[in-house]
Amino acid sequence: MSPQPASPSAPSIISAIPPGGWLIAVLAALSMAAIGFWPSPPTRDRTMWTFAQPHYVMYGPIIDRWNAANSPTIDLTMLGLVPMERRMLASFMSGTRSADLLEVERRIAARAFTGPLDAVGFVDLTDRLKAEGLLEQINAPSFSPWTSRGRIFGLPHDVHPVMLGYRSDLVEAAGIDVRQIETWDDFARVMKPLMKDADGDGQPDRYLLNMWETHDDHLEVLLLQAGGRFFDDSDRPIIDSETNARVLATIVSWCNGPDRIAADAPDFTASGNKLKSDGYVVCTFMPDWMCDVWRHELPGLAGKVKLMPLPAWEKGGRRASVWGGTMLGIPRTAARTPAELDSLFAFAKHLYCSKDLAQELFRNGRIITPVKSHWSDPVFDEPDPYLGGQKPGRMYIDLASAVPARTSSPYNTLARFRMLDALVKLSEEARRTGTFDRAALTERAMHYLKDAQHQVLLQVDNNVFLRPPQGAEAPGE
Amino acid sequence: MSKRAAAPWILMTPFLAIFGVFFIYPVVRALTLSCEQTFGAGHSEFIGLANFRRLADDPLFWKALRNTTIFTLGSVLVQLPLALLLALLLETPGLRGRRIFRVLLFSPAMVGVAFAAVIFAVVFEKRTGVLNRVLHSMIGLDLDYAWLQDHVMGAMIVAALWMYTGFNMVFFSAALQNVRTDVVEAATIDGAGPWSRFVHVIVPAIRPVAGFVVLLSVIGSFQLFELPYLMLNTTAGPDNRGLTVVMYLYQAGFETGDLGYASAIGWMLTILLVAIAGVQRWLARAEGVHS
Repeated sequence: MSPQPASPSAPSIISAIPPGGWLIAVLAALSMAAIGFWPSPPTRDRTMWTFAQPHYVMYGPIIDRWNAANSPTIDLTMLGLVPMERRMLASFMSGTRSADLLEVERRIAARAFTGPLDAVGFVDLTDRLKAEGLLEQINAPSFSPWTSRGRIFGLPHDVHPVMLGYRSDLVEAAGIDVRQIETWDDFARVMKPLMKDADGDGQPDRYLLNMWETHDDHLEVLLLQAGGRFFDDSDRPIIDSETNARVLATIVSWCNGPDRIAADAPDFTASGNKLKSDGYVVCTFMPDWMCDVWRHELPGLAGKVKLMPLPAWEKGGRRASVWGGTMLGIPRTAARTPAELDSLFAFAKHLYCSKDLAQELFRNGRIITPVKSHWSDPVFDEPDPYLGGQKPGRMYIDLASAVPARTSSPYNTLARFRMLDALVKLSEEARRTGTFDRAALTERAMHYLKDAQHQVLLQVDNNVFLRPPQGAEAPGE
Repeated sequence: MSKRAAAPWILMTPFLAIFGVFFIYPVVRALTLSCEQTFGAGHSEFIGLANFRRLADDPLFWKALRNTTIFTLGSVLVQLPLALLLALLLETPGLRGRRIFRVLLFSPAMVGVAFAAVIFAVVFEKRTGVLNRVLHSMIGLDLDYAWLQDHVMGAMIVAALWMYTGFNMVFFSAALQNVRTDVVEAATIDGAGPWSRFVHVIVPAIRPVAGFVVLLSVIGSFQLFELPYLMLNTTAGPDNRGLTVVMYLYQAGFETGDLGYASAIGWMLTILLVAIAGVQRWLARAEGVHS
């Protein structure tokens, strides 16, 4: 009979555990305790997702006040833009619930408009907006990115007019009066003395405009200002239009050749900010929200920057454009009954149409509200020391009605990039052949735009829900 | 079925369920999806092989394939010989600091693609980029020379070279350590010089590992996505010069919303990779028979 092994006593087990094991055990116990006793936020009835940190900060106090006095209570969560897009699309495709209110950026919202109207993941708010008089109260162009086939699927957050920000220290030191500038031709002529070759290497060390042929945002700003478009009112591509060709030719002549006035100082990058600080570029496209970006990213330029309306493409033409946009939508999955929809819409309206938010948006983000009745608020007449004492609120509001309408086509991003391809090809051809004459460039631009139009049509024509009625001729073909 | 016969199936059920849900179903669904035209949430139409026919006429798909092939060739023809060379240098008898060199050369593989993409986007930046600054001071290169506009795939190959050469070097190092020293010494005694030893002794000995590394590099290169996506600021670069097959798949599926077409692109890529793997195996087998 073999001897029975002695059962280990408690002290021997304890002594067998190495110090590292004890450390892990203690950390595990502390973690469990921390998780167990960590105060969890109060449970809210409904959730709202936003993608922008400044929005998250600004909405917090307003939502807290709402939650204290109203029902349903709202829980605000911030998500990155891409995760939000993924979750939104997954929710729309599967019919499962995501958030109850989605604050989405323009490019993402358009993704919801691909299929038939009754399958758009957001609730159609058109009749409600009409009934409550919001169509009249809100700046009309702000609805366009959220309007598909005549129906509106979101409450607009902003207007985002674009002006031209310029280095007032450089311009005023050169004795230039920007009031002389009405058109882009005036701009090039009046500002030209600022382009100097300081180091004698034959290349200017300063350019007039921060814009480059590879930036789709710059292209869209100029295109919309000129009256160019990617799509017509029935969402058919009209890429190969005369206006678009003229804009491309002009951009190429600005980026190359003897009339070059533009250079690349990319936005939102350290290198771009360095170039702006160094005065490599004098002027930059400045939507309202960009004022706040500059205030934080380029504090050294405080008092050295001012705004002016965009120079027009022709005398008496449009002096503004538009860049960016956000809406608040209610997913269908969140509003299964009329009562649910009523309560969610009441909150959405309270948040987006409140005077509190209009003031917060401007004070903290330099964003002007699309609600016209708030435009008389004194906050918009406050001078901004960063912008040399100008009143940016009033300046942007004065241009709000001139903001061009935009498409909500789900193929807008595709069209932008195909047109950008055309621009790059045209620019390279110009450099290769030494052709910088605008008339000749416009002709060649049309050639490349026709190719872009064809590529976009290949995609759009596959979509049975966006096909033109039978017998109708597609524009641009 | 007896209890004994049913037991393996019962034990395998959890695996089969997970395998079915997360592998079989997605593969079958991707196959059916590639024969559909999708329109937003939950709407699709069966269109047979139209997506594949469209691929054949799609200039962007061919451009993506061409770009990806250029990157793959760059990886295989530049990166792998360099990795082998570094491995040979590191395995030189009597080399001091071998471990330090190995760690230094391997370390870029540990930093992650996102980090490398950000670093190289800064390096290749116009005007303020390190490369242009250095070349401007040395040979007077125009500071505005746009590497990420005019030489997109070249820039990608350089970035990948930095990241993966050390990674591949480790495979070659391991293979070289397994080359029998007595055979090398015998060849030396027989009068074989360094080149002869390399060609006739070392290369045959490391061929299986080399074949594996080549296949791994080809597959990895054809799946290129994050590096250009991040280096080119989430675009395919000017005139789609940084567009790769996987990036085009992503654009079609998640930016244009055409999941059917994206699936067709995915299947084309799969067929291509299976074909490459098949050719590689066939070549390896033929070499084996020949030897």
